[in-house]
Amino acid sequence: MSLFGTNTGFGSGGTGVFGTTTTDSHNPMKDVEVTSPPDDSISCLAFSPPTMPGNFLIGGSWANDVRCWEVQDNGQTVPKAQQMHTGPVLDVCWSDDGSKVFTASCDKTAKMWDLNSNQTIQIAQHEGPIRTIHWIKAPNYSCVMTGSWDKTLKFWDTRSPNPMMSLQMPERCYCADVVYPMAVVATAERGLIVYQLENQPSEFRRIESPLKHQHRCVAIFKDKQSKPTGFALGSIEGRVAIHYINPPNPAKDNFTFKCHRSNGTNTATPQDIYAVNAISFHPVHGTLATVGSDGRFSFWDKDARTKLKTSEQLDQPITACCFNNNGNIFAYASSYDWSKGHEYYNPQKKNYIFLRNAAEELKPRNKK
Amino acid sequence: MAECDAEWELCKENIQPLRQGRSVSALHQALCQQQEGNHTALNQQKQAFESELRLYDGDDPLDVWFRYIKWTKQTYPQGGKESNLSLLLERAVTRFTADKKYHNDVRYIELWIDFAEGSPEPMDVYRYMQAQGIGTMQAALYIAWSEEYEKRGNIKMADSVFQDGIKCGAEPVEKLQVFHRALQARACRQMMTSMTDQQNDDDDDDEDEGSSEPQRSSLAELKAKGKKKPVVPINRANASIGYARGLQFKQPLGPKQNSRLMIFDENKVPESEPQEPKFEIWTAPPTARAKENEQKPEKWTNVKMPLKSRSGLSVAVPPPKPSFQPFVEEDDQPPAVTPCKINPAVNSVLSARKPCRPEQTPLKMLQERQQMMQLQTQEDGKIREQSMYCKELLFSGATEFCFEELRAERYRQKWARKLQTQSSAADDEKPVESSEK
Repeated sequence: MSLFGTNTGFGSGGTGVFGTTTTDSHNPMKDVEVTSPPDDSISCLAFSPPTMPGNFLIGGSWANDVRCWEVQDNGQTVPKAQQMHTGPVLDVCWSDDGSKVFTASCDKTAKMWDLNSNQTIQIAQHEGPIRTIHWIKAPNYSCVMTGSWDKTLKFWDTRSPNPMMSLQMPERCYCADVVYPMAVVATAERGLIVYQLENQPSEFRRIESPLKHQHRCVAIFKDKQSKPTGFALGSIEGRVAIHYINPPNPAKDNFTFKCHRSNGTNTATPQDIYAVNAISFHPVHGTLATVGSDGRFSFWDKDARTKLKTSEQLDQPITACCFNNNGNIFAYASSYDWSKGHEYYNPQKKNYIFLRNAAEELKPRNKK
Repeated sequence: MAECDAEWELCKENIQPLRQGRSVSALHQALCQQQEGNHTALNQQKQAFESELRLYDGDDPLDVWFRYIKWTKQTYPQGGKESNLSLLLERAVTRFTADKKYHNDVRYIELWIDFAEGSPEPMDVYRYMQAQGIGTMQAALYIAWSEEYEKRGNIKMADSVFQDGIKCGAEPVEKLQVFHRALQARACRQMMTSMTDQQNDDDDDDEDEGSSEPQRSSLAELKAKGKKKPVVPINRANASIGYARGLQFKQPLGPKQNSRLMIFDENKVPESEPQEPKFEIWTAPPTARAKENEQKPEKWTNVKMPLKSRSGLSVAVPPPKPSFQPFVEEDDQPPAVTPCKINPAVNSVLSARKPCRPEQTPLKMLQERQQMMQLQTQEDGKIREQSMYCKELLFSGATEFCFEELRAERYRQKWARKLQTQSSAADDEKPVESSEK
């Protein structure tokens, strides 16, 4: 069920307003450009859950705003609404019924955005910027989990100003993911903690990092029975680790692979290594997408341990990505990720969000 | 505060003494904070310093480091891993090694001396400093250096260090002279007492004697056996073994062999011999970390098996790890929680130290910097990798930053400045009405 129809649909062009094919490399993959993208770097993207009809995309940015677009079946994007924080937005997520959006910001607060009424209220407060936010739906409770640079992980019932629970972490939270009943948090100084969420959240295990460099992004994957069974962890130096929680044979089942590096086979020039900015798993196929500072995205099959595709290089890093609920659309954002510091920041440069048909390209290599 | 008073008494042996003494109020506050587990304010302050380190663009970067380290010493009286003090010192000293303007800056010297005292080989550090011209015009260097010699019982060298300092015209000269005289006085006293003790020595057997004397004579006795030289526990009795208490070590100057081989150090050759020639090789400061059970970091650790180069050289890289598999427990959960004062957030207190990343050793860092300055020359046949992100910015302080933290910090500062200009503009224009945007 492809959302974009034939190849000659909106997929072609992806050009500027004037309809001419642009020669600059801002969209070498000729994917659909989302209209009215944010004015500053996009930090996070999230598609609406399956409980809601249609596809709605939420994007948070360093311009302190969160925007919502409707993605129609013909590929057109319609900006729907926008909300503001008093600081850059670092993470967004949806509630399981698709009626609320949660946003986390550098202003140390998290807000709940009711899309029907277009109102927001603050639901969380930390001592430092909130880096991650996830909705947890358990059989006996529901809450929002926020991970912050103040080294705490807090759980919020949206009706109360005080957290239901607060867990101390050894270091600042850098990235997290939740697939009930498992949550993974990767912290500074290469910390890695797995939490179990049944009954109430508690720390399950601290894992020695499979990577040698700073943790940057993490995503949980599921097994054939749709139970979370492991996670993919990306670092700042072009490497992703696939780690199972309870594998039959850890040495063989867990592995790492290099990605987002340049001129792999040419040994005369040094190999450039880029940060992996985000990882997303395809909801149906279980294959994964990684996006990096080098301005490329890649699709991988972790079971066959092969690369499925690598894109052309965009002229900016790709900072965020996500799949929609049925895996037909892959969204990725092209904007500056601050990987080279303040000097390489050009506020004039436009930021983009692209949508790509993901139905075919992410099919696994060998169907077992 | 009464509680905190008691607290200080309870743990005073854990508090590392500072050369310039500790402010009592700061000490109380630090201990109270640790007691209550109030880490938030500490974290925020630390984060503020870390940000300042990275975003500073003024003329005096040393100032930020100095203030940060000073704060750390006051706030973490016990030192320890949580404070990152040794790491900070290491980074601070290596960062400015090439910067001539700081070479005789009092603050910089103080950092170097702290660094030396915390390192396993202070003598190497002092020699390096002298070779590089760091602190050679400051009395502090010579004082600390001669103190080190004195701790090891080498009065002769301690004396000559002072003479060096005076010869170089180190400032302030009076201070040097005062300390020098004190040293000489102590040396005389030692000789007198040791001469009387020598007579007692001949009578006694090689047993623990020491009850009549306040010195730790038991160690000195052992050396006569020839088995073990008195390993002077320098680091344990750090600042208390000072110039003021030089008597604590009985070092008979009689038999020549004893005075020379005071300290048995398996890693080091007796110092009196190759002093001069060693100056050549001190092009890079020695590693500072006094870690146990750690293999010495080698340059080859992070290099994969190199391909055969064009010239046909194939270097055999020594394997960085032992050939057997050390036993690792399957279960890597933290130990069962017993009620203890250690904050769970600082669980890492008892964890095994991971081998430090090669990038972090001062030797490697200095070399990396030299490489960058010389416009990296191609090395033979090695696959070189280049990280395409701002490593310096991320890793310059004691802890790492991620891109977002860097950016958020810059955003925060920009916003703070904006607010400040707004409020001052509002004040200028409308003094009566106070408006806050």
